[in-house]
Amino acid sequence: MARSSYEYPGYERSGVGYWSKTALLYAVVTAGALWMTLPFWWTITTSLSANPQASEVTFIPAAVTLQNFVQLWERPDILLVRWFINTVIFAGAVTLFNLTFDSLAGYALAKLDFWGRDKLFLGFISTMMIPGMVTLIPVYLILVELNWTNTYQGLIAPLIAGPFGIFLLRQHFKSLPTSLGEAARIDGCNEFQTFYKIYLPLAKPALATLAIFTFMGAWNNFQWPLIIANENEMYTLPVALFAVRNQYFAEWGLMMAAALIIVAPVLVAFLAAQNYFIRGMSLSGMKG
Amino acid sequence: MALEEGDASGEDSFGSAARDYLGRGRTAAGRRMGVSEDQDNLMGWLFVAPNVFVFSTFLLGPVLFAFYVSFQEWSILRNAGEFIGIENYLTVLQPLPVTTNGLNLSVFTNPTENLFWYSLKNTFVYAIGTVPLQILGGLAVALMLDKRVRAKKAYRAAYFMPVMLSGAASAVMWRWFLSADGVINSFLRPIGLAHNWAGDPATALGGVMLMAVWGGIGSNMIFFLAGLQNIPEELYEAARIDGASRWHLFRHVTWPNLGNTNFFVIVMAVISAFQVFGIALVFSEGGPYYATTTTVLLIYQRAFDEGLMGEGAAMAFILFLIIFVFSYYQYRHQRSGEVEY
Repeated sequence: MARSSYEYPGYERSGVGYWSKTALLYAVVTAGALWMTLPFWWTITTSLSANPQASEVTFIPAAVTLQNFVQLWERPDILLVRWFINTVIFAGAVTLFNLTFDSLAGYALAKLDFWGRDKLFLGFISTMMIPGMVTLIPVYLILVELNWTNTYQGLIAPLIAGPFGIFLLRQHFKSLPTSLGEAARIDGCNEFQTFYKIYLPLAKPALATLAIFTFMGAWNNFQWPLIIANENEMYTLPVALFAVRNQYFAEWGLMMAAALIIVAPVLVAFLAAQNYFIRGMSLSGMKG
Repeated sequence: MALEEGDASGEDSFGSAARDYLGRGRTAAGRRMGVSEDQDNLMGWLFVAPNVFVFSTFLLGPVLFAFYVSFQEWSILRNAGEFIGIENYLTVLQPLPVTTNGLNLSVFTNPTENLFWYSLKNTFVYAIGTVPLQILGGLAVALMLDKRVRAKKAYRAAYFMPVMLSGAASAVMWRWFLSADGVINSFLRPIGLAHNWAGDPATALGGVMLMAVWGGIGSNMIFFLAGLQNIPEELYEAARIDGASRWHLFRHVTWPNLGNTNFFVIVMAVISAFQVFGIALVFSEGGPYYATTTTVLLIYQRAFDEGLMGEGAAMAFILFLIIFVFSYYQYRHQRSGEVEY
């Protein structure tokens, strides 16, 4: 990591040139960081003011009130708790299924030897090139046939496995020594026990990364819940936000409060486990 | 993908040689324990069975099904279709921008003539406007943070925060910032530039693009930071001994060594730009006056608001084709570029 940019003649860490360049670097990086974070601050200040005027919320809210949050709680067509529970069930189930199925497949593709394995892996990975919107209409029509619209199983089913998880876990299982499994088999473990008792516990870091990533993706997913859940009671939070926006357009304080409720859990989780998020993101980049 | 393929085959030639030596494609342990080849196959396929099922039911099957639907007049009530040949494609594509009488470019500027071409123009404008800024912005931030910046972790977190956001939430937020009495205008009013950014057909798509750039820099930054760490320090040392300037270091060491990252980042950014939907829908519902109607948004409206599943599927396939041609071109380009280093 340590770049020795300054450790040879011409790149000394001194002189007017060096310090003015450093100052410029910090100015640019800080300005960019402000651009990235100010919108979050404006969301907070707007959600805390009763009748937001732009001039009042730009930096510090003029008068702080929790009125918007109370309104979200009290308006009869805003089913905040129900939507929150829906989203937790949806994202939780999607994560659980992905972890189970992808670790099974990732393990088999890394450690088991079976006919067609490498072609199958390539096939899984190639599906990443299929744009999601091509499958939107047919999957919807299939679930209509099953009568699964506006149900939890309809929300969850199409998202229970994905190529990213398979790839991530296969790479991780590949990095673990094969001798572990051979020893376990000699001790009398069958294939499933070898996987479940020996290898799976060693994959915890990769599983945690995948869990965080999948959960966040489902929590934020808008397109699929929008199509499959069109009853008020079955909304997930992002879809509900869209419905609230259509209903109470221009009540910006209320809307920012609603946006904050979606954003807050993810943001808190991110700040608490930053490294997992960053690692997941950079791993998702290595598929290339 | 190119990298992955190379990896797998490279490793495989070694692996299969070892396996041949040990006995017909089976591991040493398997043979010792008296496990037959059939049992190996059965076990492996049992492990991957759930995924094979999900992939074929919700991914591969549906792609074929979508192709079928695109040739049907689909009835929502019966949930069944009637074969009408290529009529959906004709409805979507006509009037064509190229006719025997010459070019008919007004389809790109007049939404009442043909909304599909108009939406395609919006999508291209969006892609051309956002992808380079997302990528160059991400690269610039990564290069700056790769240096000895204090509080690197805090900066990285700040740039990554918008990536965490649901598209729906960020669209609602930016709609408020960019509205006539919004926060952005409170900065612009003193210098006389206040404008109803989200409500004007000329600037609404720009608002969506601004939001997309804001949300897209962080993930690219992470990809480039990872790519930069994979460049061996010796390359920089060697170049410096040869007297390379900062610019030369970037141009001849950093940039070529980011080749795979560049490929991946560009392809992913373009694929997702062509599929922009949620932020445009929540920001302005495709309006004002179709200014933010992107192709996927049009597919959504045709299929799920108007119930024209066949037309929607036809549009989806045309867009799929465009995305595929682009990815393939990038892939070929990447392959030919590898010779240089």
